[in-house]
Amino acid sequence: MDHRKQNRISVGHSSQLAIAAFVLALSLISAGCNALAKNSVFFGKTDPPRDNVLRYVSGSEPESLDPQISDGQPEARIYMALFEGLVEYDPKTTTPIPALAERWEINNDSSEFTFHLRRNGRFSNGDPITARDFVYTIRRGMSPKLASRNAGLAYYIKYAKAYNAGELFVLDPVSQSFLLEKDFEEGRDQPAKLPLSSQPVGSVTAEYPPVPEDKTPDANTPFHQFMHSPARVVLPADEKKRNAILDANPKLKAAVAGKQLVAVTAEDIGVEAVDDYTLRISLAQPAPFFLSLMPHQFFRVIHQKTVEKFGAAWTDARNIVTSGPFTLEAWRHYDRVVVKRDPMYWDAANVHLDAIVFYAVVDNTTMMNLYKAGEIDAMLNHAVPAAWLDMIAPMKDYMDAPEATIEYWQFNCKRPPTNDVRVRKALNMGLDKKALGAWRHAKPLTAITPEGMFPGYPQPKGDPFDPEKAKSLLAEAGYRDGAGKFDPKKFPVDQIEIGINPDGNNIPTAEFIQAQWKQNLGVTIPIKIMEQKTFLAARSNLEYKGIARNGWGADYMDPFTFLGLYYTPTGNNGTGWWDPKYAALLDEANSTGDRQKRLELMAKAEALALEVQPVMPLFTTSARWMKKPYVKGMYPNPASLFPWKWVYIERDQAKWDYGVPKMTE
Amino acid sequence: MLRFIIRRVVIIIPMLFIIVSLTWGLIRLAPGNFYTGEKKLTPAVEQNLREKYGLNKPWYVQYGRVLRNIARFDFGTSLKYEGQSVNQILWRALPVSAALGLTAYLLALLIGITTGTLAALRQNSWIDYASMALAMIGISIPNFVLGPLLVLLFSLTLFWFPPALWNGFASKSLVLPALTLSAIYIAYIARLTRSGMLEVMRSDYIRTARAKGLSERAVVFRHALRGGLLPVVSFSGPALAFLITGTVVVEKVFSLPGLGNYFINACFNRDEPLIIGIVAFIAVAVLVFNLLVDISYGFIDPRIRYT
Repeated sequence: MDHRKQNRISVGHSSQLAIAAFVLALSLISAGCNALAKNSVFFGKTDPPRDNVLRYVSGSEPESLDPQISDGQPEARIYMALFEGLVEYDPKTTTPIPALAERWEINNDSSEFTFHLRRNGRFSNGDPITARDFVYTIRRGMSPKLASRNAGLAYYIKYAKAYNAGELFVLDPVSQSFLLEKDFEEGRDQPAKLPLSSQPVGSVTAEYPPVPEDKTPDANTPFHQFMHSPARVVLPADEKKRNAILDANPKLKAAVAGKQLVAVTAEDIGVEAVDDYTLRISLAQPAPFFLSLMPHQFFRVIHQKTVEKFGAAWTDARNIVTSGPFTLEAWRHYDRVVVKRDPMYWDAANVHLDAIVFYAVVDNTTMMNLYKAGEIDAMLNHAVPAAWLDMIAPMKDYMDAPEATIEYWQFNCKRPPTNDVRVRKALNMGLDKKALGAWRHAKPLTAITPEGMFPGYPQPKGDPFDPEKAKSLLAEAGYRDGAGKFDPKKFPVDQIEIGINPDGNNIPTAEFIQAQWKQNLGVTIPIKIMEQKTFLAARSNLEYKGIARNGWGADYMDPFTFLGLYYTPTGNNGTGWWDPKYAALLDEANSTGDRQKRLELMAKAEALALEVQPVMPLFTTSARWMKKPYVKGMYPNPASLFPWKWVYIERDQAKWDYGVPKMTE
Repeated sequence: MLRFIIRRVVIIIPMLFIIVSLTWGLIRLAPGNFYTGEKKLTPAVEQNLREKYGLNKPWYVQYGRVLRNIARFDFGTSLKYEGQSVNQILWRALPVSAALGLTAYLLALLIGITTGTLAALRQNSWIDYASMALAMIGISIPNFVLGPLLVLLFSLTLFWFPPALWNGFASKSLVLPALTLSAIYIAYIARLTRSGMLEVMRSDYIRTARAKGLSERAVVFRHALRGGLLPVVSFSGPALAFLITGTVVVEKVFSLPGLGNYFINACFNRDEPLIIGIVAFIAVAVLVFNLLVDISYGFIDPRIRYT
């Protein structure tokens, strides 16, 4: 998700002033720290707080406490305290574990999910949490009027995209039947293989794996039959766009004439409360990773009556009704959000903290100061500035672990010189990523997915560091002298630049790579620093010259969250490169029922992309944060997301954490 | 006097109109939008957002809405912070900035005038040299350097004051930011007071006062200070306006929930209503404070009369 990036890879916005201040403060403070920290294994004070309260810096001011509004990670951590979903992130691995759903069934091609809710789930006002609340939550999230930025995450759900985009069904007023997609698919050699969720109920024997209990996931309802019937035709509401589609498909155009256009409604999307405690979600296509999406803030359950009664003000402290282990005590804007333990929470007995204070602080130096002075107990990931790492990394309260987040530079494959695959490959080979990784305290990366993050995934390797090969590739690409050798002077450095935004460690990293290229290839590519939004606009519109920095954090724990970036030519691709073969491999992977085969197909797609090098992978990021030794139950997991109910303050020094807590315990 | 005030008040309206229009135009020229993020939105989601916030309407409709909002002094809702009205945010952030600014202002006046006067009365003594040297340093060290230095000393070495965060108006968390903020103003005011006093002490009416046989105290406090402080007064009006309407750097260094912090983030977030609200608010504040300064001239300096 992008939000990771905004606050992970690049923390906050900084002006030139702030950078200058940062550099100065840094040198002063690190000088001071070195003097103070000589005899200490921890950074600064280690007195536990008097009360059973965790004081945490969560990053920028939350946009909203409505979990369906913000797509940011600082907010995600607060939402995790206030709201609960069907499943929760495992505190160590971030894979989904039961939460409000006790158990679930997934059909054989991962196109339908049936969740069984616990009976004792309660909102903070005491109301029971039922499947209907989840239906409401998802429908509301998809509503065009709410305009949630996260809505795209749920587009896998049947008709969810059509509803969110305000699209239309086509109804024949005479026969009262809808036009169906399968009748108008042209240019296909054979009818597409339908996902099980779209085949008539009962037509497939054993759609679900055998269930030991009496529950029948196939429980038949009219809605379920509607879901399992062939997909209806959906058309855009916008007349221009609709006519463009109709003009391209004369058969469809003829069929639509004289028919009634009916808006897709919230009631049409594939979520159904089979009974009070059974929720069924039908997808438009197989999505084996769908369960890993369910702990996302967008799917955390909210209280219908409160939302409807108060509108946008429902998140005010005096109105809010929550569903998580904590409930809102106070929100002091641009300062702190305070949450307190909710006695109504179904598992309240296992919630250790009385309260959590989330401070809104964005400046890294300020966070480090607060931490050292003992004003906070832990801070968000990527908070320790790169330049401090040599001093901080040896300390026993430094939390270091690889994250499911990568940093990379992308190439503009549409304009010279980076439209030439040889140039892209040469630039990639001309960078010593081991040296970069050592300097950034991160794991160097040659592939598109982070390394060692997905068990069983046969990740392909990209090209290694090889300046000689790089030079010969550049010579091949035409930048050569009379003797046919690479001539750096011929390389058009006026047509290419390294586009970055000035946040976090982007500038020193760009300078590092620029120096590497100068040393290894003899070319000096200028760095262009742009203000955050200016940069983002240029990057997503492919208006950058040659190179733009980027980073991506997993939306869910599956390689597809990274590979999906290049699944379409639009969206977050941003490179201008797209290959239908690549997309086809991913389609094939996602529709196979076999887990290992799926991973192999995805690896094949990744290898295909690495062949053409639309991006230059840099490294898998490390979590890079700190927590006091007395904070227990908080693990540096791959997403840096912490289910708060497991966190506690340990007053017995003998039980403190010395170093990163063991993740295998 | 009254006519002068009315004229100045009326002038605020076209000034505000120009300022707001320029701001609005600049925001529209800036690339990116409030929803531009690292992750690109799907076209439908982007469409929904534009619909929700009226960005699909033609520019003159949007501009008209801005002007209507200004006329009613109700700036609409923030784009970034769902459901929060700009007025709400202004009234929440202003007290923090005002408390910080006023404290710094009082510190600056108290210390600045005292040292400036002392330096002037003991011209070329060690007091004069020492205080003017300090003032020079105070002017030269920018507050984003001074702030971290104070934090290093008082928070991380002595552990006297918290290094950041806001714990209410009468709390220790106000000390370091106020000190940081006032340093440059202390220095300025000390220097202004000194030069103003030196000039006045040589003027005819002081000589007259002395000739009347007044005591040195009466000469300084009843006559000299009034004239000598004129430059300070004209400086202190806008200074107060700037101090209490938010000081970006100090609020950012100490992570305080004041107007300056909101403003800088609103710009980065392309939060149009919030930017315009804060700009309009600060513009009015500066214009009003300037007016107050001009009025106070009349009371302080008997030579000035308004018509």
